[in-house]
Amino acid sequence: MSDLLPLLQSRIPFVHPAPLWNVWYWLLLPLCAAISIVYKSVKCRHMRQVPREAAIIFFWILAGMAAAAAALAILVRLLER
Amino acid sequence: MSSTAAQSAVPPPLIAVAGWLLPGLGYWLLGQKNRAITVGVTVLLTFIGGVYIAGIRVMDVPGYDSLGRRVLLATPGGPQWALVARPVAEVLNKPWFIGQIMAGPISIIGSYASLEAASPRPDNPRQEGVAASHGRLAEIGTLYTAVAGMLNLLAIIDSSYRAGRREQP
Repeated sequence: MSDLLPLLQSRIPFVHPAPLWNVWYWLLLPLCAAISIVYKSVKCRHMRQVPREAAIIFFWILAGMAAAAAALAILVRLLER
Repeated sequence: MSSTAAQSAVPPPLIAVAGWLLPGLGYWLLGQKNRAITVGVTVLLTFIGGVYIAGIRVMDVPGYDSLGRRVLLATPGGPQWALVARPVAEVLNKPWFIGQIMAGPISIIGSYASLEAASPRPDNPRQEGVAASHGRLAEIGTLYTAVAGMLNLLAIIDSSYRAGRREQP
């Protein structure tokens, strides 16, 4: 951490990468939310339907990602044996 | 009914250009202001989020090297800029830029800023001014900016279609 301190202090937001190395997997959430919101804004006839529809598809995307991650993790374990 | 008449006054190509110039503007011109604000704010925040995550060098501009200089190719007529000499191959070398550019002028501003940041400092002309990010953060930042552009493309196509269909929102 002491090695990283000068690097973090000299970091300029939007010019240098954000210090998110250890939490990169949480960055999936805003991206899924953005995709859900825009997709449902395009698909829904009335905008009042969008929050509910976007929330549903948001959780479906996350569930799909989690299932894919679990399947790949199992595959890797099997191949490593 | 007046809303329908107002929609039919705006031709779909103009809606498409407006949607690229400012994400969501195509819907705005159709009178669908809530949709315009939702799509526009989301696309812009996603793009800006990508730049925040990976830094400005996430914009990897075709035709330029890592030091922000034009890539020149040797041709029978003398050195020629790679983007002019073989534009398709050069763009396909950096396909994520196709997605990024669909986010609108903000991607062009970002590209310019990226090239400026890449320019070497006077004290070390062989090293990038700001190093490009690598690893997961670079991948995620690229994904954010490219997805923002592709979402805007989706909105551009939808708003143009709605303009051509001439229906109530």
